[in-house]
Amino acid sequence: MRIQSLLAAAGLAFVLGSAAHADVRLQGGGATFPAPIYQRWVTEYQKAHPDVKIDYQAIGSGGGIKGITDKTFDWAGSDAPMSKKELQAAGGAEKIVEIPTVAGAVVLAYNLPGFNGELKLDGPILADIYLGQIKKWNDPRIAALNGGAALPDLAITTVHRTDGSGTNYIFTNYLSTQSETFKNKIGAGKQVEWPTGTGGPQNAGVTQIVQTTHGALGYVELAYALENKIPFATLKNRDGHFVKASAESVSMAGEGALNQMSHGLAVNIWDQHGEKAYPISSFTYIIVYKDLDYLRDQDKARALTDFLRWATSEGETLAPSLDYAPLSAGVQKKVASAINSLTWSGHPVATASR
Amino acid sequence: MQIASAYIRGKSHLMFGLCILFTTVILALLGMVSGYLISLGYKSVDLALFTQLPVPAGASGFPGGLQNGIVGSIIMIALASLIGIPIGMLTGIYLAEYSSRAWLAGPVRFIADVLTGVPSIVVGILGYELLVVPLGTYNGWAGAAALAFIMIPLVARTTEEMLLLVPRGYREASVALGATKARTILRVIVPAAFGSVITGIVLAIARVAGETAPLLFTALGSRFLESNPSRPFPSLTVQIYHAAMEPYKEENRKAWAGILVLLALIFVLNVTVRLTMRASGYGARAAR
Amino acid sequence: MSAVSGTLQSPMQSPSLPGDGGRLPQGGASIVQQGGAESRADMLFALLTRGAAVFVLIMLSALVVVLVTAAMPSISAFKIHFLTSSSWRPNEREVVKRDAQGNIVRDTDGEEVTVTLPPEFGALPVIYGTVVSSSIALFVAVPLSIGASLFIVRIGPRIGVLLGPVSFLIEFLAAIPSIAYGIWGLFVVAPFLQDHLEPALNAIAGKVFFLRIFHTDQGLTGRDMLCAGLILAVMILPIITSLGRDVLRGVPRVQIEGSLALGATWWQSCQVMLRYGRTGLFGAIMLGLARAAGETMAVAMVIGNANRISSSPFAPAQTMSSLLANEFAEANSNIQRSALVEVALILLVMSLLFNVVARYLIVGRSARPAV
Repeated sequence: MRIQSLLAAAGLAFVLGSAAHADVRLQGGGATFPAPIYQRWVTEYQKAHPDVKIDYQAIGSGGGIKGITDKTFDWAGSDAPMSKKELQAAGGAEKIVEIPTVAGAVVLAYNLPGFNGELKLDGPILADIYLGQIKKWNDPRIAALNGGAALPDLAITTVHRTDGSGTNYIFTNYLSTQSETFKNKIGAGKQVEWPTGTGGPQNAGVTQIVQTTHGALGYVELAYALENKIPFATLKNRDGHFVKASAESVSMAGEGALNQMSHGLAVNIWDQHGEKAYPISSFTYIIVYKDLDYLRDQDKARALTDFLRWATSEGETLAPSLDYAPLSAGVQKKVASAINSLTWSGHPVATASR
Repeated sequence: MQIASAYIRGKSHLMFGLCILFTTVILALLGMVSGYLISLGYKSVDLALFTQLPVPAGASGFPGGLQNGIVGSIIMIALASLIGIPIGMLTGIYLAEYSSRAWLAGPVRFIADVLTGVPSIVVGILGYELLVVPLGTYNGWAGAAALAFIMIPLVARTTEEMLLLVPRGYREASVALGATKARTILRVIVPAAFGSVITGIVLAIARVAGETAPLLFTALGSRFLESNPSRPFPSLTVQIYHAAMEPYKEENRKAWAGILVLLALIFVLNVTVRLTMRASGYGARAAR
Repeated sequence: MSAVSGTLQSPMQSPSLPGDGGRLPQGGASIVQQGGAESRADMLFALLTRGAAVFVLIMLSALVVVLVTAAMPSISAFKIHFLTSSSWRPNEREVVKRDAQGNIVRDTDGEEVTVTLPPEFGALPVIYGTVVSSSIALFVAVPLSIGASLFIVRIGPRIGVLLGPVSFLIEFLAAIPSIAYGIWGLFVVAPFLQDHLEPALNAIAGKVFFLRIFHTDQGLTGRDMLCAGLILAVMILPIITSLGRDVLRGVPRVQIEGSLALGATWWQSCQVMLRYGRTGLFGAIMLGLARAAGETMAVAMVIGNANRISSSPFAPAQTMSSLLANEFAEANSNIQRSALVEVALILLVMSLLFNVVARYLIVGRSARPAV
């Protein structure tokens, strides 16, 4: 008797639950690098389109690429373009579309009790710190770069990402351009083998470790450092200027990007020339399949296309408030034509907006 | 008669004192852990925890609550119980009532014991390979199945224990009155042991309510209130984990509040169970 | 958390009904004639219970088969190297090709030739991490637990009223979920270690000659092997205490009284008890070890997540379970996922082994384990 009523209640719950199925659900996931702006976009878009429910699971670029390959995600976020192997696993490079959405900065957040100045670092020193060759904050090389400032006699605890991370990809690629030793010993990738330091999951995890560990140095996306009021270093760029990360300095880094986009929209913008260019800048991408029929529902395809269009045009105006660099007009045009090339079972996705 | 030397007597006193000390240390640790979690939690618990969905940083209404996680956990535990309790009880009945003629009983009993020791994260991986990969998406079924996997051996063993405590006379009397074996079990034995069997079930539910690892990559999680288990499914424990690892203090507070809710639930379940056991008077068992 | 534990001596044998198997006694003068439907229902029920039991068998087989299958690519790629290598590198790495003398090989344009190293996985650091963190846990927990068991069995009964609450409270420790311990560890223990305990301990280790192996040059974060070991110790205290209590309760009073009659002090009679129950106690400790080795969430939050072997407990580390918790969700290549499943397989085998041996040690003394 009890069991019967329990089953009835369960059945009723399911029926009621599925009755709310008139909504369109889009499941995205991946990079934590753009998570703040993607969450903002999703909330804003839903205000205008209340029957479209978009969820973004910030689990790391590696998880995003895996999700889109397995089709457990409808769309993925990644700061690292898919590698040849990953493209193969997804069915071939021609089946995938990678759309840049914004550009952001990877900053070096630090926890130096007692130091109130602006810390200055450069690429080679960073590489040596992460290689474990520079072990203490009061190392003469760091002091020299900071005008002989008195830094504490504290061991440097480097913090790195433990998950498959686009932020890690950007950072290791940058360090590989700054130090041959780094390139040979550690190399670049979403997940590498670090010789020293402690690890945390996602940008949030690294931020938390830096926040709570004295002497820590960690690489995180700019928004995380600003949101949590953690100081971050000014970096010397390719032209020898010390640049602080911001939406403007990232935009400066992205200036030459349009010219490199003839072969596809995935372009590197770290270590660029330019007086005000921030050296560890990068685009971040949304990855979908060219043919949206894996979504199995044309409403979903229309909603996704519309969302992407909105995000990369009107949504760009929200970027600077969260300290991301919006796409330049030229790049936006290229992105728009990429979105227009998305198909549904071979036909263009109907542009009727919801 | 003092045979032992002063040294040996002194050592005995010392050890006596150490035993008392160590017990006090253990109790003090318990006090510290629960005290800390309670004090942090009760400052952070508010109605929003139960009525609001989580809101990510940067959006208005941050941090929101844990409503979808609480509901999601309840649903997944209910699903897990729907699968796990019947199978567990039937296995327990088999081990208690049918084992004398069956060569199967010994191995099954042994394996049920062994299964209780499987790390829950390994169960999660099994759930991923069996139910996430084929379905193509993280889903609540896989999470519920992983929880059921943990429940079944626990329920089986406690059911068996409790049924064996029912005096033999019940069975003989029942058969003497002409009942079949199934009738005997279902109408006589199980009801006689009912209180303590429920005890075992409630303990298994309390155990499973606190599990996080098996849900990490089976149900994954979701920002929304979910009622369809075929999609990524939120749960309280995973949300607490993520909220605790965030750098934002507001999120951490949410984690502490969630832990308090979880602990309160587990405490209530445990206390109820022990009081019930004492009441039903199963002697030495009640002390555990 | 342990299920309800039975007394170690079961008061009854398995009851058997006359004419077992759900069938009526054949050709007997049953007082009541049962209809065919009844006996069919009876058979159905018996079948159901047997089916459930078989299902439990299938559960274990499925676990082993699925894990082994999923780990196969990694097993065949790395073979024994998996257990001996310290390298956990999910990315491909381009290295400059060198010839036998160590000189860089160049191609016809004078460009360096690079070789792409495929991802490489070795489980040695996480096996080390599991072993060391569990050892620290045992080192701390065993004396405390044995002391508490002795208290409950020998001292408690004198203060009758205390006994129930003490036992109950210790078992409530067991009911606290892993994630709660993780939060306590993350927000209380780790900062305490980082700010107060570890600087002192690390300094001492650096100065004392034979302790220097425990010294670390790296920064102290509080999230390291020591923190994980301490949290694990608190988590396994209840298991060892309650099992130890059961084992010691099973020591015949004759032994204790006999030793006291011979003039033994309290502690000496305790030693007799411990010696008598040493097999069971060892089993209890092994079960605690098994639990510590399999513990995931609390460890993942405080261990520092560094796949490296270090001799210092103040350095971050990684255990098998914390590695899985951190990396499995986004293992983005099949070989990495397979390597992770292989780690899970090693973990499973390890904890099953401990469990089986432990139960054998405990059960060997009495009829039913029931934990």
